[in-house]
Amino acid sequence: MATTYLDLTNEVLRELNEIPLTSANFTNAVGLQQFVKDAVNKSIFDIANAEPQLPFFSAGLSGSTDPFYGNVTVASVAGQRWYTLKSGSSSITTDYASVDWDDFYVTTINVSGESAPHVSKGLKFMTLADWKRYYRDAENADDADSQNYGEPQFVIKSPDSRKFGLSPIPDKVYNVHFYAFDKPTKLSAHGDTITLPEQYSNVITARTRYYVWQFKESPQQASFALDEYKKELRQMKSNLMNPTPKYMTDDRRYF
Amino acid sequence: MAGSQPYTVACAGGLIKSSNSIDLLKTPGSARDLKNFEVSIEGGYRRINGYTKYKVGDVTPTQPTGASTTILGVFPYADGVICCAGTAIYFSIDGATWIDIGRASVSGSGDNYSTFTGRSTLTRTGQGQASFVIFEGATFDYGEVIISDGANKPYSFRMEGTGILTSRTFFSSEVTVTGTKGVKFLTVHDHHLIAAGVEDNLDSVYYSVYNDPDNFSGSGSGAVTISDQIVGIKSFRDELFIFCKNSIHKLVNINNSSTIAVVPVAENVGCLSGYSIQEIGGDLIFLAPDGLRTVAGTARIGDVELGTVSKAIQPLVTDIATQIDTFIISSMVIREKSQYRLFYTNTSFSNNVQRGIIGTLRPDGFQWSETRGIESTACNSGFDNNTIERYYHGDTDGYVHTHDSGFTFDGTKVLARYETPDYDYGDLGTLKTLHYLKVSCGTEGQVEPDVQVRFNYGDTNTAQPPTLFDLGVINPPSKFGDAVFNLNTFGGGENPLIRVPLLGSGHSNNFTFISEDTKAPYTINGLYVDYIPSGRR
Repeated sequence: MATTYLDLTNEVLRELNEIPLTSANFTNAVGLQQFVKDAVNKSIFDIANAEPQLPFFSAGLSGSTDPFYGNVTVASVAGQRWYTLKSGSSSITTDYASVDWDDFYVTTINVSGESAPHVSKGLKFMTLADWKRYYRDAENADDADSQNYGEPQFVIKSPDSRKFGLSPIPDKVYNVHFYAFDKPTKLSAHGDTITLPEQYSNVITARTRYYVWQFKESPQQASFALDEYKKELRQMKSNLMNPTPKYMTDDRRYF
Repeated sequence: MAGSQPYTVACAGGLIKSSNSIDLLKTPGSARDLKNFEVSIEGGYRRINGYTKYKVGDVTPTQPTGASTTILGVFPYADGVICCAGTAIYFSIDGATWIDIGRASVSGSGDNYSTFTGRSTLTRTGQGQASFVIFEGATFDYGEVIISDGANKPYSFRMEGTGILTSRTFFSSEVTVTGTKGVKFLTVHDHHLIAAGVEDNLDSVYYSVYNDPDNFSGSGSGAVTISDQIVGIKSFRDELFIFCKNSIHKLVNINNSSTIAVVPVAENVGCLSGYSIQEIGGDLIFLAPDGLRTVAGTARIGDVELGTVSKAIQPLVTDIATQIDTFIISSMVIREKSQYRLFYTNTSFSNNVQRGIIGTLRPDGFQWSETRGIESTACNSGFDNNTIERYYHGDTDGYVHTHDSGFTFDGTKVLARYETPDYDYGDLGTLKTLHYLKVSCGTEGQVEPDVQVRFNYGDTNTAQPPTLFDLGVINPPSKFGDAVFNLNTFGGGENPLIRVPLLGSGHSNNFTFISEDTKAPYTINGLYVDYIPSGRR
């Protein structure tokens, strides 16, 4: 069973020898109890800020469009360079928290009207500076003149971080797959559950205790809690993000 | 946890109702609420005993009148109890069989049992709250008891002999003070029976012939008139104190017709009820409009000091004073506990809300507590024929009860509550997280009180523990040589320190000890609080 907001709050309160909350008085908690509630949310945000690409922040299930493992798919439009990363998002507050810019994939597979041989390849990330220096002028000239466009080779990030761009400008419809991570949702009701597996809930509680001990003006206890948080966060990242063998690769094959 | 701090409180000082919450920080051992507890003469606060229907032996107690007739007076006499109820006066030695001792035409040389009980009974019409006085004779087995009720002539009763009632001799007669007038208050002073509160002569004090309490007309008898209505009289050492509505006087030199005099003691302070006057600790205590006061005799002849001793519970006393006409006032002294008990009963309310106050005389003066749930329409204490002190009270149900006896209020649970002042642990600005509490608790049987914690003066914006903290079952002490096999519980200490884990935090907090059960009394001696200072936010 997923850990609820009430569970987390009470776990910290009990550790601090404070009065636990109940589902009945959770909403109207006051004083230290309300502070602990706030600190739980702060802690979850801290974890998300420290490592936004933890698996449980994933925007969707990987590989939903088989055989591609991105969790977001955006269809390109002939002649259009920029695409909003999160469809329907109205501002940066509702955008994805993080995108794996090193893992964009473009393909004509599953595109209506397309047949073999398909285009199917990874898109190399290019910095905005390089793109502006080497490609922007020519692509803009083509767009204004012959409009030949081309098959996208690179993905670029808009300065406001809300869009990705394709270079060259696509000449037809492609499916662009990439991996995105959501922002954590602030917990509100006592029954709200965290996205973390239960075994990692102590990362949240350690961070929460760090805040509460600061509130209680106990720097020593706060320091202990901070150390525990760092250690637990490191272990969580190690377990969830780096469990596979490590090796070095030469990705110059994209050039 | 690191950084915890200790705080120790010895329970002393009693109930304080007249100090504000900040002032109470200076007296952590006192109580903001102390219901059905008494200040123990050994220190600490003891849950009071209960009361049981008066009975001796394996009998079923009965109502003297056989019905729910309000008891108007009780008095320990000989090896039994005299009580007034309805229009009669009763006596019983077992609580099951009551004989009407109000008899007419009893022989001057005494009646045997059958003759006495065969005589016609007196009908004491309009009998009110009764006053009793014992006149010890030189040869009397139990003394002569004289009873007044405010509506009828005083009634004198004496019993001689021991063993079963049928083998005893009975003497009784009505005492004429002045004509057929009824008398409200009686006392004995320097070999004289003193009568006051006489119908139509409320400002007069009558005194009998020397050593003859039945004779108010012979040589040596007389009367003095005061300039105020008398509400009570009490002999104290060699003076007779006369308590009036708005003044207090004393009668001196009663046996010297040339120097007998009434001396004013106080012209601006009176007494609210003659039934509140008791002698305790070498002093007289009485209920005045501004509180309970004492008339303290000093070494200097003629010098009298009046002092209020109930300042700590002034709001309670003010409530009584302002509604005095709605209450039946009764009082008694429990000598072995150095206690003064005053009950103010409003018979229109149910038993469980009837109230009283207990003052325990400690070396530094009276310390107070409250009773709740004892309905007393009359009470008295005195010594029986074996010089054992007995306490009785009566109620509107028509029963006489053995006061301060048993664990329950005649079978009803005793709700006891001791609330400490708020503790700031020396600094009201620092947040403290409570760790645990150790309670020094002496028990007289297996008890199971609980403790409640409230932070920041019960502030609703502070999280308060939703439930009581359980002290667990506390067993009575088992001492080698005293403990009884299969009855006492092994390991019970005399004054064990019960550890209660606590939780919660606040800038201040208080504790309330609560029990509502039929278990034995216990004494809270003191507290030890372990807390963790947690910042100054």
